[in-house]
Amino acid sequence: MTDVSYPDVVTLAVPLFVAAILAEIVWIAVRGRDGHAGRYETRDAMTSLLMGTGNVVSGLLLGFIAWGFFMTLWQITPLDLGTAWWVVVLCFVLDDLRYYWVHRFGHRIRWVWASHVNHHSSQHYNLTTALRQTWTGTFTFMMIVRAPLILLGFHPAMVLFVGGLNLIYQFWIHTEAIGRLPRWVEAVMNTPSHHRVHHGRNAKYLDANYAGVFIVWDKLFGTFVAEDDREKVDYGLVHNLGTFNPLRVAFHEWVAIFRDVTRPGLTLRQRLMYAVAPPGWSHDGSRETSDQIKARHRTAPPGEAEAPGLARP
Amino acid sequence: MPLWLLATIVVVGLAAVALLTHLLGWSRARAFVDEAEAMRAWDREFSADPARRADLLPGGHAAVVYSARGTGLVWTMGLDSTARPLAGARLRQTRRGLTIRFPDMAAPSVTLPLAPSERDDWHRRLQETLT
Repeated sequence: MTDVSYPDVVTLAVPLFVAAILAEIVWIAVRGRDGHAGRYETRDAMTSLLMGTGNVVSGLLLGFIAWGFFMTLWQITPLDLGTAWWVVVLCFVLDDLRYYWVHRFGHRIRWVWASHVNHHSSQHYNLTTALRQTWTGTFTFMMIVRAPLILLGFHPAMVLFVGGLNLIYQFWIHTEAIGRLPRWVEAVMNTPSHHRVHHGRNAKYLDANYAGVFIVWDKLFGTFVAEDDREKVDYGLVHNLGTFNPLRVAFHEWVAIFRDVTRPGLTLRQRLMYAVAPPGWSHDGSRETSDQIKARHRTAPPGEAEAPGLARP
Repeated sequence: MPLWLLATIVVVGLAAVALLTHLLGWSRARAFVDEAEAMRAWDREFSADPARRADLLPGGHAAVVYSARGTGLVWTMGLDSTARPLAGARLRQTRRGLTIRFPDMAAPSVTLPLAPSERDDWHRRLQETLT
């Protein structure tokens, strides 16, 4: 098989993104901002949209690196599953599993977090937040996690196509305008409720719900936390940004890694840990990882059941 | 989709969102009502080092916070807020007020709007916390 092509679905969805954002703004304005419909702030929204624009531009400039890597793998593999509809469906499901792990790495490995942090840097949760995407994803080398799919015989164009569909699915769940969906949907799919938890900076919501499309991955791998109506989600980072500048949003954690790694007086291991340990790790204990934050918020004595999201590992 | 069309949709979309949110009044910056609100905003960022006292700056857009570990600044960011310890920060008087520069790329600086008559006093008070 040589000529396989699929539409660039993310680009095609851009008009839909714009229309949906405008509709959400109108909906919030009509419902009143103090309700549960959501919040917008001009500079925050503009930063998110500029991050989304930059993500598209970085894809145009750097996309050839991942594509070259994938096509090299495609030349190597003897397997070719073809383009039947069921292959596309299977590819979509397996790529969603791939997304789950890349996303989990994105929260647990500082090198990958440096790219992903910008998506969590808004203190708002609306449809523009969905577009607050990375400019530096290529440098995380997480394209490697897609390698098994291509080596198994899924064409690179198909893998990127289903990845685009995955991204589009995740757009609409970045909203407070939708409460909870029917129970079967909440049981299987990633929903606004589940993803609100993922964007929470509350101790119990940290490092939860990594799913892209199917929430079953979180339930399978023990990272699922349900939205608790008694604890409203507080959106943003553990230490929120003090800037709306997209350049700073895009690069601040990379600069922070560089500063930490090049500190005087550290061992080689400590320098490495500043790059790959979970965010918040420090050689002198002066910062907190999410595990340490959770531990500080535990109230139940050892041996007794703890609140979801705060349970001991 | 041709690149020119994509670019047009993006530019028009950005302008529409900016205009609409501004006209709806959603670009007005938040101000802390009192010291208690500023302290809650600090605690939200540094729950392991809660605020003991706060001095609200004129206008309510920032407050100096005193905690067990030292002094910090909490300030409004749009409708929300953020905070940083003042250790390592540098102060400079400007035409608008007082600019505080942090050694942090994620929160590089904040300008506190102060009347000329207030600048010296706040400069001195903040400088004292840094020494």
